[in-house]
Amino acid sequence: MWKFVVRRILIMIPQLVVLSILVFILAKVMPGDALSGLVETPGVDSSTIEDMRTTLGINDPVHVQYLNWIKGLSQGDLGTSYIHQRPVLELLEARLWNTVYLSAAILFLTYLIAIPLGITAGRFHDSLIDKLIVGYNYITYATPLFIFALLMLFVFGFQLQWFPTGGSADINLEPGTFSYYMDKIYHLLLPALSGALLATVGTIQYLRNEIIDTKMKDFIKTAKSKGVPEAKIYSHHILRNSFLPIAAFLGYEITGLITGSIFLESIFSYPGIGQLFLQSISQRDFSVVTALVMVTGVATLIGTLLSDIILSLVDPRIRVE
Amino acid sequence: MRRKSALWIVVSGILFSIILAGCNGEGESGSEGSGAEGQTEEINLNEEVQNDGEIIEDGSLTYGLVSDSPFEGILNSAFLAAAPDGQVVQFFDEALLAVNKDFEITNDGAATFEMSDDNKTITIQIKDNVNWHDGEPVKAEDLQFAYEVIGSPDYIGSHYGSLIQMVEGMDAYNSGEADDISGIEIIDEKTLSITYTEASPAILNGIWSTPLPKHYLGDISVPDIPSSKEVRENPIGFGPFKVDRIVAGESVQYSRNDDYWKGKPKLASITLKIVNPNTVLQSLESGEVDIAETFPTDQYPNAADGENYQIIGGINNSYTYLSFKLGHYDTEKKENVMDRPKLQNKDLRKAMGYALDMEQIAENFYHGLSFPATTLIVPFFEGYHDETIEGFPYNVEKAEELLDEAGYVDVDGDGYREDPDGEEFIINFLARSGSDTSEPMAKYFIQSWNDIGLNVELVDGRLHEFNSFNKMVDDDEQKVDVFISGWGVGTDVDPSGIYGRKMPYNNSRFVSEKNDELLEAALSEEAFDTERRKEIYNEWQAYMYEESPVIPILYSYKLLGVNNRVKDYSFDTTIFGTWEEVGVTEETAE
Repeated sequence: MWKFVVRRILIMIPQLVVLSILVFILAKVMPGDALSGLVETPGVDSSTIEDMRTTLGINDPVHVQYLNWIKGLSQGDLGTSYIHQRPVLELLEARLWNTVYLSAAILFLTYLIAIPLGITAGRFHDSLIDKLIVGYNYITYATPLFIFALLMLFVFGFQLQWFPTGGSADINLEPGTFSYYMDKIYHLLLPALSGALLATVGTIQYLRNEIIDTKMKDFIKTAKSKGVPEAKIYSHHILRNSFLPIAAFLGYEITGLITGSIFLESIFSYPGIGQLFLQSISQRDFSVVTALVMVTGVATLIGTLLSDIILSLVDPRIRVE
Repeated sequence: MRRKSALWIVVSGILFSIILAGCNGEGESGSEGSGAEGQTEEINLNEEVQNDGEIIEDGSLTYGLVSDSPFEGILNSAFLAAAPDGQVVQFFDEALLAVNKDFEITNDGAATFEMSDDNKTITIQIKDNVNWHDGEPVKAEDLQFAYEVIGSPDYIGSHYGSLIQMVEGMDAYNSGEADDISGIEIIDEKTLSITYTEASPAILNGIWSTPLPKHYLGDISVPDIPSSKEVRENPIGFGPFKVDRIVAGESVQYSRNDDYWKGKPKLASITLKIVNPNTVLQSLESGEVDIAETFPTDQYPNAADGENYQIIGGINNSYTYLSFKLGHYDTEKKENVMDRPKLQNKDLRKAMGYALDMEQIAENFYHGLSFPATTLIVPFFEGYHDETIEGFPYNVEKAEELLDEAGYVDVDGDGYREDPDGEEFIINFLARSGSDTSEPMAKYFIQSWNDIGLNVELVDGRLHEFNSFNKMVDDDEQKVDVFISGWGVGTDVDPSGIYGRKMPYNNSRFVSEKNDELLEAALSEEAFDTERRKEIYNEWQAYMYEESPVIPILYSYKLLGVNNRVKDYSFDTTIFGTWEEVGVTEETAE
């Protein structure tokens, strides 16, 4: 087991190096830089801008820039955002927690909705209730998030006024108090629900298929013929096996926690990582873009590793390998 | 899982283009707005909110900052870069010197000024009752400190402009050779003088007079100021409202500055929050925000019949233009060289202007919230814009006549004109992508030019994204003959930054001695006489109209959504920041 984990971590090193080179070169190949936006502001001298480029190191040769960047990276310095005029690390930290809260809420609600529905659909497959659940699945799969989220906002935010329509917290509450945290959760609910209702597709479908598959297996037939009660067959034999793929995906879902959702964040004016990423690309704020891609890349590698570890924990067959 | 992520990419592509459209709104299609008096018949847009009620005491107001992303949070005028941050700063900070409608400094502000006889030295005296929010008086050294920060060798920001560089001794200070700026002299606690290396009326337009609180920021090293707590979380100024609390990137709570030098502001508090452009209309309807700045023009048709709110607006300080590449920028000599023969014939350029039905473009692509542009000085500068120039009203016959006379005729009968030598003549047109209307608009332009017999093709057969567009224009790529872009011109009327011989932003690369002469004259000593300056700029506008290296296409309006309970708020408030006058006439929003 440990051998396996160590081997996986060692493989990650060349992967990260390749990723860093790719990320950096692709970012540099894009036309423009963070200062090109200033072109729209006459009165700013071109020599001033050139001076700034030199100060910021944008005029250095690419390999020098890359080495400087790697050097900073190895010391935990992700660079400084030109647009935001602050260290990227600070910037990420400020945005990251919002994203983590939102993603965790989405993940929680997704499982809360998807697991019961998936089990029900699998257990009573081809019944009316199964058809309803599968129908719901197809509809949510076909619904684009950015339309659905807007719709949710209009109905529950503006029409019924059950939820706040934007932001992550009420400005009038003292940070740190109990009502402040309750308010943060209140602000989270609508975007999280909008995300979760559409995110259930995969989980429901996998769970349903696995349960139907397992139901047909010989050992279940044996158990049935031995007279084991239906409820016990499900809880002991079928569900355990059917949760395998879901567990395997948990690692990836954890990666998703920090990447954020551009649509939800934008529509609900919720400052998070997804929006920052998009904004940084269009403003050519490269230090932020490269940092975010690197962080996401590392998170994805760790997520895959976690998935494998989880899988080997719940499924002894893998450990033999 | 795989299928899901594929969907995500396609969808994010769509959203990306929507967001880009939002970003470019200011720049390229800054042509969004409504009509000036007398220039649009269809649209009746007030500059000021209509409200007959009485302003209540201690009211509060919610200000919606319309943006699809959080504000950056660099809440300091010396480092300010993005427009949303500017909207946050306007409530708590201001410049010492006030300006009039022509953006020339006056003696009505928090400080008064006097020019020396040789017009090289300006003496600024700060009024006694001007204090920072923490009670400290605003001192002469605070303004000096602002110059020291911006001029610092370690300063990274975009405010180190030509006027600041013109301060005596600034070069030495900026290169680190001198410890202080020799041209800035503190006379007493509230008075200082600034001496320039030359006399220029630009000083009256563009002098930097926003102080920084030295007692508050003085201990922080210059590069650390923009990321400090004193700027991001607890910024102070001497404006009508104080910052109470900031939720990073999304909202700000302000309260009244009772000690404001102009007197107690009418509102007791203001809450600012980010509103997504997609939900502006609903936020106005539900009364969740009292003011929405800037109201998106594409939603104007839906908003025109609002019951509890009004849409007001005024002319933007921007214009869209058609530019002809006439040369290149010599990076060695740092000047423009007009050496491309293809479009040197000014009648050809004018014909391309007359071929465009700008009324139709304004009507169909901008809901009538833009109107045909006539000169290169926008009507935003009321005193300088020359109304007598008629621009290029749609006239196909005139366009064809001009082309015929210039020798551009169709000799081989393919329906397109050849150049005067009888060679095939194809004009390459560069257009920017970004908004929903980019593509149909580009097609409309090409169609219009085809109609007068010019063979115009899109560069690479497609539209180009913002950054690649700028790169192709800046690098004077040979495959670009004409392009459409826009300028935001700030509050300084002087156009030499974008039309001067030395300026890389002069992207048509048009240069001439007459042009140099006029632009210089407008910044010379004789132009301290405002009337004379206006004359010179009128002459320049007429000259540029005659030469047409750049043809202005559209001026635009900026829209504001305002709840009916708001009083004494107008388009001018957004320019001059007179927030102390704004009030509300009801406790809660309608």
